[in-house]
Amino acid sequence: MASISSFAMPSEAPTYSFAAAQSASGQPRQHGFYPYTDNGGSTLGISGDSFTILAGDTRSTSGYNINTRYAPKLFKLGGSGPNHEGSKIVLSVVGFAADGNALQERLDTIVKMYKYQHGKDISVHACAQRLSHILYNKRFFPYYVHAILGGIDEEGKGALYSYDPVGSYEREQCRAAGAAASLIMPFLDNQVNLKNQYDPNSGPGLEKVQRVPKPLDRTTVEEIVRDAFTSAVERHIEVGDGLQMMIITKDGIEEVYTPLKQD
Amino acid sequence: MFIARSEYDRGINTFSPEGRLFQVEYSLEAIKLGSTAIGLTTADGVILGVEKRITSTLLETSSVEKVVEIDRHIGCAMSGLQADARSMIEHARVTSQSHAFNYSEPIKVESCTQAICDLALRFGESASGEEEESIMSRPFGVALLIAGHDENGPSLYHAEPSGTFYRYDAKAIGSGSEGAQAELQASYHKSLTIPEAEEMVLKTLKQVMEEKLDANNVQLASVTKDKGFRVYSDEEMKTCVSRIEGE
Amino acid sequence: MNHFPEAWGRPRDDIYGSYNPQFLPNSHAQQSGHPTTHTQSPIVTGTSVIAVKYKDGVVIAADNLASYGSLARFTDVHRLKPFNKKAVVGFGGDVSDMQYLDRLLNSLDVKENYSHGHDDAESDKALMSAKNLHTYLSKVMYKRRSDFNPLWNALLVCGLSEDGTPFLASVDLLGTTFSAPTLATGFGAHLAQPILRRVVPDEAASKALDKEAAVAAVKECMKVLFYRDARSMNEYSIAVVDKSGVDLKQKEKLEGQSWAFAEQIKGYGTQTV
Repeated sequence: MASISSFAMPSEAPTYSFAAAQSASGQPRQHGFYPYTDNGGSTLGISGDSFTILAGDTRSTSGYNINTRYAPKLFKLGGSGPNHEGSKIVLSVVGFAADGNALQERLDTIVKMYKYQHGKDISVHACAQRLSHILYNKRFFPYYVHAILGGIDEEGKGALYSYDPVGSYEREQCRAAGAAASLIMPFLDNQVNLKNQYDPNSGPGLEKVQRVPKPLDRTTVEEIVRDAFTSAVERHIEVGDGLQMMIITKDGIEEVYTPLKQD
Repeated sequence: MFIARSEYDRGINTFSPEGRLFQVEYSLEAIKLGSTAIGLTTADGVILGVEKRITSTLLETSSVEKVVEIDRHIGCAMSGLQADARSMIEHARVTSQSHAFNYSEPIKVESCTQAICDLALRFGESASGEEEESIMSRPFGVALLIAGHDENGPSLYHAEPSGTFYRYDAKAIGSGSEGAQAELQASYHKSLTIPEAEEMVLKTLKQVMEEKLDANNVQLASVTKDKGFRVYSDEEMKTCVSRIEGE
Repeated sequence: MNHFPEAWGRPRDDIYGSYNPQFLPNSHAQQSGHPTTHTQSPIVTGTSVIAVKYKDGVVIAADNLASYGSLARFTDVHRLKPFNKKAVVGFGGDVSDMQYLDRLLNSLDVKENYSHGHDDAESDKALMSAKNLHTYLSKVMYKRRSDFNPLWNALLVCGLSEDGTPFLASVDLLGTTFSAPTLATGFGAHLAQPILRRVVPDEAASKALDKEAAVAAVKECMKVLFYRDARSMNEYSIAVVDKSGVDLKQKEKLEGQSWAFAEQIKGYGTQTV
């Protein structure tokens, strides 16, 4: 969706299905407005035994342009005050940033209303279901975003839910979304779910047994996240500038920002 | 209460100079005409008991439904105008289902009670075309005992037509409520077991009922963690009633 | 974003493939096979707006031209609009939509002044900040794009946020918002932004920048834009917003132009060698 923003100079201006100029009089003019764009960037979430980490780069793009080097894609939900004090759930959105912001604001008010109405903090599980419905309700004019929701479940374990733009969702161990999802996800399959990793001592040739994935500790996960993003920055032009990470534990949310390459 | 009565009991949303809403107060009176209903909380669950007024020997007793399910984990007993209770219960059921749909979790008993009480106050004389037209022309004439089991354990709420609700360990409503409440006050204690609670409900009902209590003119129901809301079958009613008859 | 406002917001065929009206329900299809529409495209347009944050405030500039296609139609159109002496909005894109938004902001300002009237320093604190204004405009723009009836503009909003720090942010016809130490819309995103980022690479550099350097950088960019943007002109508006208020000049002329490079350009017009 590199959109309209254009690198092309006048002589080789891109073509559009809908004429920009007025058509002959009497003829109905085409509706030439496309309400979406892609603002690039990538997000990633990994859940552990007692924590969940969500991460996203902070670059915002329009085609080949960098809009800004700092546009966060991670949002705390609920909590009090402008800094969401006491929040335990994080939403990450990547895709069309305007929709992402609108979605984030809606879910945030719902999480706050839930606390007023039911006198308790919403669980990630309940929040996940609600988010699915919000997305599905706009199925015919979707929020063009890939959302990932992270938190701690009722048993104290890390919880991570990923969504498509129309609300299909699933609880997972790890998920990459956005522009560099296709670069990061296979890396995660290998490093988190240990796909294609076999125990060398378990037998000859095809009889080798695959290593069994088990929940990772926090430092390992942070390293995997950093590696995923530094690599994605090398290979994808829409990813870079800064890495924002949120680590959700039973004690709350820790936020870490580290610079990425600005090229 | 009726000394100060004047024009102020006509308009249902008009305060009297003493600051009272007469129509709401009258609706509380309507409940005192209703059949007695009792709720009792124990550590393991809540027991609801209602008196069925069998006005005719030809009446099919199973058709008198005064204790109903709202959700798997919430049930409710009523006293007063039964027809009014229908729309309140319908509202509670819809609210519970929509909560489960939206959040994939059972609604809290308090939230469900709140939803019912929100509805209870939506009466009045709004002009047509007003944004939210009230659906009732008068206050509801029914009180509910809402029993449920959620993450905070078993709980019992009493909801009035005035839109207020309180949580109780034990509560009686309806015509026999005064005597029954005094009886509950005297004999209730926190360490009741479910069978003990069943007996206490039946004995209390027996004291305040005009007819002689038998397995047909009372109905018990319970809400427990494992089985949720359950209306006792005829068999169970018979054994429960026989337990108190020996004494 | 390119410098063809009429192309903003349109799906490009090379990315999305051409539109196939077959998928539309019959009720929407005209004899031509095209859908019924109530749309617009920008007619009279303004080109780039550029802005930089410096340590005490923001500098913003836009030229005074409103083009009708390639015709330089109106040469005295002011595209920087001050709002309640605390903020300035710079408009790129459709001029009539700019005028609509200007009316909207004026009526908003009147309402705001009714609600907290006095014209003194104490009540000034209660005035809408540039940040508030940006949030408001972003909701207007997003609502209109969601109604498929966009306001065909790219806006820069600048001023101070409530805590007195310089504020600069952008909204476009899709409701997309972002904020940065330097911003430029339209052709400026290609030509001015790299120059500005060289002066102000990050927030830290912006906090070290003084007003004179910021104004100089913006003026330099206006010159570069005039050299290379065929829909630009040499008269422009420039505003400085800081805690003392808005200083708006609407009749600035480009200074120190050098067209020496033009001699190097061959292959256009009537030149034969």
